[in-house]
Amino acid sequence: MKVQHFLGGIENLGPVAVEKRVFVEPWEAQLFAVHTTMMGTGIWAWPDLRVLAEGMSPLDYFKYRYYIKWLGGMCHFLVAKNYISEKELEERTKHFLEHPDAPLPNSGDNAVTERVIEYFYTGANPYRDVAVDPLFKVGDKVRVKDMPPAVHTRLPGYLRNKVGVIDTVYKGAYLYADNVPTDGISTTQPVYLVKFKTRDLWSDIPDKGDVLYNDCFEVYLEAA
Amino acid sequence: MSDDHDHEHHHHLRESESYYAARTKALESLFREKGMIGIDTVDRVIRFFEHEMGPFNGAKVVAKAWTDPAFKARLLADANKAIAELGLKDGIEGENLRVVENTSAAHNVVCCTLCSCWPWPLLGLPPYWFKDPVFRARIVREPRGVLADFGVSLPEDKRIDIWDSSAQVRYFVIPERPAGTEGWPEEKLAALVSTEAMQGLGLVSA
Repeated sequence: MKVQHFLGGIENLGPVAVEKRVFVEPWEAQLFAVHTTMMGTGIWAWPDLRVLAEGMSPLDYFKYRYYIKWLGGMCHFLVAKNYISEKELEERTKHFLEHPDAPLPNSGDNAVTERVIEYFYTGANPYRDVAVDPLFKVGDKVRVKDMPPAVHTRLPGYLRNKVGVIDTVYKGAYLYADNVPTDGISTTQPVYLVKFKTRDLWSDIPDKGDVLYNDCFEVYLEAA
Repeated sequence: MSDDHDHEHHHHLRESESYYAARTKALESLFREKGMIGIDTVDRVIRFFEHEMGPFNGAKVVAKAWTDPAFKARLLADANKAIAELGLKDGIEGENLRVVENTSAAHNVVCCTLCSCWPWPLLGLPPYWFKDPVFRARIVREPRGVLADFGVSLPEDKRIDIWDSSAQVRYFVIPERPAGTEGWPEEKLAALVSTEAMQGLGLVSA
């Protein structure tokens, strides 16, 4: 099991670091732009990055800042998929460590820029307009299955074995991703908004009537 | 001993901001040479999130919803369609938006316990707090404690609705309109609304 799949509900972590900035170092914005270029040109998508984040040592996952983890994940992916070689990455890193103000190569493909901006407005809608026969209807009681451990999941761990009520049956069906190993969400399927009482998730919290909503892929649910 | 020292030295170098900056430059530089990125791509992407896709879009939506009840009803029913009325485009991480409203009875908070799902077309990119594993761990179980870390306290009897995004929908919160703003123009109202308030981690005051 991976702690990254079970973050919700962990106790005794102390205060939240209320950092309201998006980037805290200039290189993070540059890295983010390279990442969106990879997305906009089809080199990778969110599931690839999430698989890498979930494959990290959980201690490192807590230790490193968000974009430091991205940097590691992006370099690993680009080398593993042969977009760049380890050797050239190491040499170029050394070059910029020794010459932080050295200019970047004055070359590139500027057609990529508009492709990336266009991608921001197009997005990548997981909606699939296919005929489906949803197993559940609004008001049905459902139990979240205790899915087998997987490389990648979109099931928050704290919901396993918990009972909720179907609040919304989304129209049509959704495909999460079919290029990474998941626990059953690599096929197009209905998604439901499921409503839980937080006291049903954690029986030791004060009863304030609070509610938790989560969008669950159909494969994660069974009748309760 | 000297090996240990070298190892530690190497490790230290690889954990410095200057190392991360150099490695990031190395990536962009190799991308440029291989024609995988344009010379202007990085600048254009950064400007895009400063001027085109950012929390100013969400604030505009909130101000309109506060002043036009018919718009608010359309927004709650079909957010993607309603924001287009204001000339706003949806797109990445906002193909399926849902807007929820804070009321005197219930307060909404949004999180993503598995990663960092966030409504980009309305809020731009997520700030660090949203991605903090501590925030993600605590918000679902002890929302009032987390709100206190943000300086927010709610009336005792107010219910909290928590939205943990993990599939296709990205959630957005209309905060409660502060008292004393009757008759204010939309632009003045929009200026009051923080990113945090539009995910339920802040309140709006005039």
